Amino acid sequence: MKKLFILLLSLTFILTMAACSTEEETNETNEPTNTTETENENTENNETSNMESGDKITIKFAAQNDNTPATDAVIKAFNESQDQYVVEWILMNNDSAQMHDQLLTSLSAESDAYDVLSLDVVWAGEFAGAGYLEPIDVNMRENNINKQDYNSGSMASGNYNGKQYTLPFFPDLGLLYYRSDIVSEEDSQKLISGDYTYSDLATMAETYAGQAETKHGIVYQSKQYEGLTVNVTEFTSSFSSIEDGLKNMQMFTKADWVPKDILNFTEGETHVAFEQGMSVFARNWPYQFGRIKAQEEGVTLSLDQVGIAPLPNGGSVGGWLLGISKYSNHPEGAWEFVNFVSSQEGQKIMSTQGGYLPGYNPLLEDSEVSASNEMLAYEGFKNALSTTIARPVSTEYSKLSDLIQIQAHKYLSSGEGLEDTVKQLEQALNE
Amino acid sequence: MKGMSFRQFGFILPLLVLISVFSLWPVLQSFTYTFFDYKLNDQQKAGLYFSDRFNLELFSESELYVTLLLEEDQASVTNEADLNKINQFITNVSNLANQLGTGQEEKVIKINDEEKEAVLRLYEEGLAVLDALQTYQTPNTENLTFIIEDIQNSIIPPNFIGLQGYKQALSDTRLFQSMGITLIFTSISVFFELILGIILALILNQSLKGRGIIRTTSLIPWAIPTAVAALLWMYLYNGNSGIVANLFATVGLIESPQDLLSTGTGAIFATILADVWKTTPYMALLLLAGLQTIPKSLYEASDIDGANKLQAFFNITLPLLKPSILVALLFRTLDAFRVFDLVYVLTGGGPGGATETVSVYAYKVMFSQTNFGYGSIIVMFMFFCVAIIATIFVKLLGTNVMDKN
Repeated sequence: MKKLFILLLSLTFILTMAACSTEEETNETNEPTNTTETENENTENNETSNMESGDKITIKFAAQNDNTPATDAVIKAFNESQDQYVVEWILMNNDSAQMHDQLLTSLSAESDAYDVLSLDVVWAGEFAGAGYLEPIDVNMRENNINKQDYNSGSMASGNYNGKQYTLPFFPDLGLLYYRSDIVSEEDSQKLISGDYTYSDLATMAETYAGQAETKHGIVYQSKQYEGLTVNVTEFTSSFSSIEDGLKNMQMFTKADWVPKDILNFTEGETHVAFEQGMSVFARNWPYQFGRIKAQEEGVTLSLDQVGIAPLPNGGSVGGWLLGISKYSNHPEGAWEFVNFVSSQEGQKIMSTQGGYLPGYNPLLEDSEVSASNEMLAYEGFKNALSTTIARPVSTEYSKLSDLIQIQAHKYLSSGEGLEDTVKQLEQALNE
Repeated sequence: MKGMSFRQFGFILPLLVLISVFSLWPVLQSFTYTFFDYKLNDQQKAGLYFSDRFNLELFSESELYVTLLLEEDQASVTNEADLNKINQFITNVSNLANQLGTGQEEKVIKINDEEKEAVLRLYEEGLAVLDALQTYQTPNTENLTFIIEDIQNSIIPPNFIGLQGYKQALSDTRLFQSMGITLIFTSISVFFELILGIILALILNQSLKGRGIIRTTSLIPWAIPTAVAALLWMYLYNGNSGIVANLFATVGLIESPQDLLSTGTGAIFATILADVWKTTPYMALLLLAGLQTIPKSLYEASDIDGANKLQAFFNITLPLLKPSILVALLFRTLDAFRVFDLVYVLTGGGPGGATETVSVYAYKVMFSQTNFGYGSIIVMFMFFCVAIIATIFVKLLGTNVMDKN
């Protein structure tokens, strides 16, 4: 027994020591080092020797788990398309804020742990401004890439101070999913047109909740994380009517046709509730359509039960971008991969297999893509595409978003201090 | 060190070196950061600069882009004078880049006033070129504006701000809120840990059958890594399927199981409960060591004098246990004040910042916003508080030991 105890003790100590030492390492990265250039030279030599020996160079790609098979498929397609590089997917934390911190810590340590980074649209400016990303204009020119071919919102997010740093991984926008088998024809038309308010939505959610074995009227994201900022943006119509928007959101939070733990809902809880037929409405990104279509595990709905409509005040633009780490040892290979994924071929895979919105514009008209991705032909989806809104733009975005989350979550959970919350948000947004 | 011979001093020298390298140096380093506007994700602030610096990397990038964009734009320029101007500018930019960059491998270099002047002149020249381009329809004008701006941004101004950061901290409501939360967390959790710890220590001190097993098993919560324990509690507190949350709701402690992690009071209570569960054994262990130093004869004597168990506890056990209690309190208070992993994993500081302790706040500022300057100030505040707490306890402990003598 004593031995066991001592063993446990020493284990704890070792674990704590290990935790401490990693922290210190990251702390000591303040002084700019000049090893990157020499490293690059070394790796170029390595690349040639690697090629000679027939070994493939590994490109490390940092991205979150994909609920659809698309990311796997696109990596596989790239690996098969050439014999120089092999892409290894490094799975990142599904909580975007944690992934952001993880990337930031790694990059500020000038680590070469990742070659290709998938970045939330709101991070690109911050990472580029910090000098962590490789500008890609030269590469784009060499490959005759036309910026107009790509989703304009994504391209704009990846442009910082006149330089292009990213290409689209997949663009995203907030959509309202509804049960077309429950919602009446009349209401359905109203939703698709986008000509309704959050109060109308509340009335509908209340009316339909409980029908056809549903438990809830509507589900959306309200946990204290980036998703809350997105939802607050939509409720407040991009912060143009903060007070009314938050009041509405609070009304939703307390309503009995919304899950009691809505304040802990992320996208994951949302898609589970909707695709298992527990909710009439759901606010989510396009990937949810892909899940239902692919009949992933647990999905009980079929596509003909699902309708898509724009959100009352328009859906937030989101999505992910692909950038190249400045500390990558294989920028050439990283570029090859970024170019492949964002190209017609890569985006076609993303769109047909994952239900993602193609970031390569000509694909929107592509018959194969629209045949395999029915969503693109939905009238509600087309309307949603034309009424998008954006999250606030700021050089210190993560600080601003953090504040929005804290203030909004505090008000939503207590239902008190609306005036103060509005004042705080307005102040932060005007800074 | 009065009356210490050189030889004697030689023996403690390694210790002094160790202390200065591992304790003083990091503290001094953090202390230095507090005087700078030091942000890793801002290229103009990603270092500690007293004097002007120059971002060579950014400038080389600008050089590349100026050449690239202007050569493309040249096609639409018709006026000879404007063309010359553009060409002259391109040459000047690359000349300056060569001049500053020769023999340099560093990304950020020191520059003197003369060189700074040259960079600023180049910036002015760039603005003039932009002006000249206004009359033409060129494809890159918008991007070029930013690139020219970056020429000026290559100059890194000194980011020494002195005490301004401290001034900012004094008016930071979030810092004081987190300080308050930390104090509440510390006092309540340490209080309950002490009471429960004494009880547990008394039980462990009895000569029961299988005492070894009881002692070992009671230490298990403390042996589990905090992050794992926090995850475990997160599942127990879960509003839908968590046993503890549902139990509390059934008993009537909370209205519905979801309230535990989604309301401020609920979340603080939840964190404190998890912390008490986790560290009571540690408290008990420290107190047990104290209990075992109390001679049995005292209890036998009190027994003969006719004192009951309760009297023996208050008149013998507690007074003799006092030094141990103070040591245990010192350890636990300092520990609880710096709590990070439990809160970070269990609630992440939520809901609405209701469980954000000073450490969590410092982490968010330092690692999510990479604002090491301001983050260090928060850490300094914490250091200050911890120092005060430690002093109070050491004073108490000191007088206590004196009394005994």
